[in-house]
Amino acid sequence: MIQVRELSKTFGAFKAINNISFNVKKGEIFGLLGPNGAGKSTLINIMSSVIKADLGTISLNGIGLSTHTNESKSIIGIVPQEISLYENFSAYENLKFFGKLYGIDKAVLKKRMEEILKLIGLENRKNDLIKTYSGGMKRRINIAAALLHKPKILLMDEPTVGVDPQSRNQIFEVVEQLNKQGVTIIYTTHYMEEVVRLCNTIAIMDNGKIIAQGTLEELQNQTKSNDQVEIVFEEIKVEQKEAIIKEFSFPITFQNNKMKSTCDLNKILTYCVRNQIEINGIHQEKVTLENIFLELTGKSLRD
Amino acid sequence: MIKTIVKKDLKLFFSDKKSVIITFILPILLISLFAFAFGGIGSSEELIKIDLLIVDLDKTPESKALQQSLDSIKGINLIATTIEKASKAVIKGKYVAVLVLQKGYAEAVKTNNAIPLELKYDQSREIEVGMLQAVLMEKLMQKLSKKAITKNIANYLDKEFAGMAPSMKNKILTGALSDEYTEQSSFVNFKMTAILKVEGEKPNYGLIQAVAGTAIMMLLFSIAEIGGGLLDEKEGGTLKRLLQSPLKPREILFGKMGAALIIALLQLLVMFLFAWIAFGLPIFNDIISLLVLIFAVAFAVASFGIFLVSIARTRKQLSGLSSMIILTMSAIGGSMIPLFAMPAIMQKIAVISVNYWGIQGFYDIFARSLSLVELLPRIAVLLGIGLVMSMISLKLFKKNLLKLV
Repeated sequence: MIQVRELSKTFGAFKAINNISFNVKKGEIFGLLGPNGAGKSTLINIMSSVIKADLGTISLNGIGLSTHTNESKSIIGIVPQEISLYENFSAYENLKFFGKLYGIDKAVLKKRMEEILKLIGLENRKNDLIKTYSGGMKRRINIAAALLHKPKILLMDEPTVGVDPQSRNQIFEVVEQLNKQGVTIIYTTHYMEEVVRLCNTIAIMDNGKIIAQGTLEELQNQTKSNDQVEIVFEEIKVEQKEAIIKEFSFPITFQNNKMKSTCDLNKILTYCVRNQIEINGIHQEKVTLENIFLELTGKSLRD
Repeated sequence: MIKTIVKKDLKLFFSDKKSVIITFILPILLISLFAFAFGGIGSSEELIKIDLLIVDLDKTPESKALQQSLDSIKGINLIATTIEKASKAVIKGKYVAVLVLQKGYAEAVKTNNAIPLELKYDQSREIEVGMLQAVLMEKLMQKLSKKAITKNIANYLDKEFAGMAPSMKNKILTGALSDEYTEQSSFVNFKMTAILKVEGEKPNYGLIQAVAGTAIMMLLFSIAEIGGGLLDEKEGGTLKRLLQSPLKPREILFGKMGAALIIALLQLLVMFLFAWIAFGLPIFNDIISLLVLIFAVAFAVASFGIFLVSIARTRKQLSGLSSMIILTMSAIGGSMIPLFAMPAIMQKIAVISVNYWGIQGFYDIFARSLSLVELLPRIAVLLGIGLVMSMISLKLFKKNLLKLV
C-alpha cells in the first residue's frame, strides 16, 4: 500500500530524514515510534506533500507522490499534531469547510459528517464552537476532519498529545474502528504503550533514521536485552543471595524472598536446581520497547 | 518586587531587536518624513512651488521681458507651452492654470491700454488658483503699473499745465514712481477663464480631502489586519491543513485576497454612504464612476494587504511593517494633508503611493466632475498596482511557504 524508498530531507546543515525505507501493507496500522526531533513529523509533512523530499520516492497505493500529488492527496487523510481547527467555528462548520476543500458533494458531505460525528461521539456537540471544547474533544474533531473524504490511508501525527486518559482511550477506539473499516494507518508517537496497543508493525526512529522495524515480537527477538524476571523463593539465606549476585553479571535485586532481574531465566533456574534453592513462583515480562530503544540508541525514549 | 518585574519586562523588550527598531527608529523616520512633507505649510515660498504654464501669443521683447520677470518669482515654476497642449494639460489635471499673453500685449503696454492677459484655470483647484492669482497680481502690478502711471501723469500735466517747466514735471513724475504708490495701484487686471468648470454646487474640497484621504488610509490598515489572518492560520495550524488538502498555494493566497477585497469594498461603501448622510458628499452625482473607482481602490488595497502578509512571517512583524509602510504611503500620497501644500519633490514622489491615485480619483469625481472615460487612466493605474502586487505576493508566498509551516 505504501512504499517509501531511500527518503532523505535536509534543512540547511541538519539532516531531518536520512535515507529511510519502509513498506506498509494494506489494512495495517504502522507505528512510527521515536522521541521528539526524530523526524516523524517531517516524514508526515513529506507524505502529505506539504514539503518535498530531497531524495527518494514515496508510492501510495501504486501512485507516485511527487508525480501525482493531487491524486495522492485525495486518498490520504492527515491528522496533524497541532489542533488545526477554526476556534470560532462550530465543529459542524469546521467539518463542512474542510469537506468542501475535497470537492465532496453537498448531500454526501452532510451524510458523511453525521457518520463521523457519531463515530467520534460528538454528534450532540456539533453546533458548539470549538473554543468551548476540551482538549480531547478537539483532538477527536481534528481526526474527524481528516476522514471526510473517506481516505484509504490515514497519517496520524501524535494524535493524543496533551489528552487525558479517557479521551485518549476514545481516540484509540476510533483508530481501531477505522482500521476495521479497512483504512491503512501510519501512526506516529513517542508513547510506546500506544504502539503496543494499536500497531501491527513498528518502526523505531531516531535522528532521522529507522533503526529497527518489525512486529513487537520480531523487535523483542532482535534485541540482546533480556526479559524482566521476578522469582519468589520458598526460603533463601543471605549467603545464598550473595552467591547468586556473585555468580551472574546481570543486575539482580532482592527484596526479602523476592528476586528481580533482567536475566536469562534458564541460567538462573539451572543454578537454583543445582544449589537446591526452592522456587515458589516465577513471573516473566517480555523486554519492552523502552528497553529496545535504550539498547539501540543508548538513551531513553523520553529523553 | 515591582523592580523585579520592571527589570524583567525591560529585558524582554530590549531582547526583541525588531520591537526596538519599531519603537525608536520608526517614529524618527516618520517625523523626518512628515516634517519634510508638511514643511511647506506656513514656510517661505521656496518650499511650495506651483507649476504655471505660460503661452506667449505676442512674441515681442516686452512679452519676453514679462516672462523673465514672472520666472523670477520664487513660488512659481514657469513652463512655456502652446495653447493646445496647455488646455489639455489643465483639463487632465496635470497643471492648475495657464497664463496667456495675448497678441497685442506690447502695444497695450506702450499705449497704456488694458493689458491682454488671460488666466485659464481648473475651477476645481480653487485654493491653488487663489494662491497663484495673488502671487501673479503682485508681480504684474510691480512690473506694469509703474510705466502706466508715469504715462498717465505725464499726459495730464501736458494737458492741464502746458507751460510747466520740464524740471518741475520730472520732479512730479519721480515722486509718482515710488514703490509704495505703484504697489497700491489697481491698474493690472487679467481675464480669468475656467477651462474646467465645476458644474452645480461648489464642491467642498475639505470634505473630499477628509473623506478620501482618511478612507484610503484606514482601509490600508484594516486590510493589512485581514491579510494577517493568514499568519494566524500559520500559528493556529490550519494553514498546514489547507496545504495538505487539494488546494494549491495560489488558491489559498487569492482566496484570502478575495475576502479582503470584499471587505474593502464594503468598508469604502459604508464610509462614502456615511459621508453622504452626515456631510452631504454628493455620491450620487456619478454613482457608476464612483463604484468603479471604489472597486479599483479596493483591489489595489487588497493586493497590498496580501503583499504585506507575504513578506511578514509573524503577526508582530506584520504589525510593525504595516504601520511603517502605510503611514509613509499615506503621508506622501496626500491622505493627511492636500498634495498642493507639500513641497514639489514630495508631490512628485506621491505617485508611488496607492493613496495618491485613489485620492486624486475621488477628486476627479467629486471636484472636477470628470466622466468615467476620463477617469480610466487613474483606474488603470490602480488596477495595475493591484495586479503587480498580487503577482509579487504569490511569488513571495510560494518562496516563504516552507517557513510558514
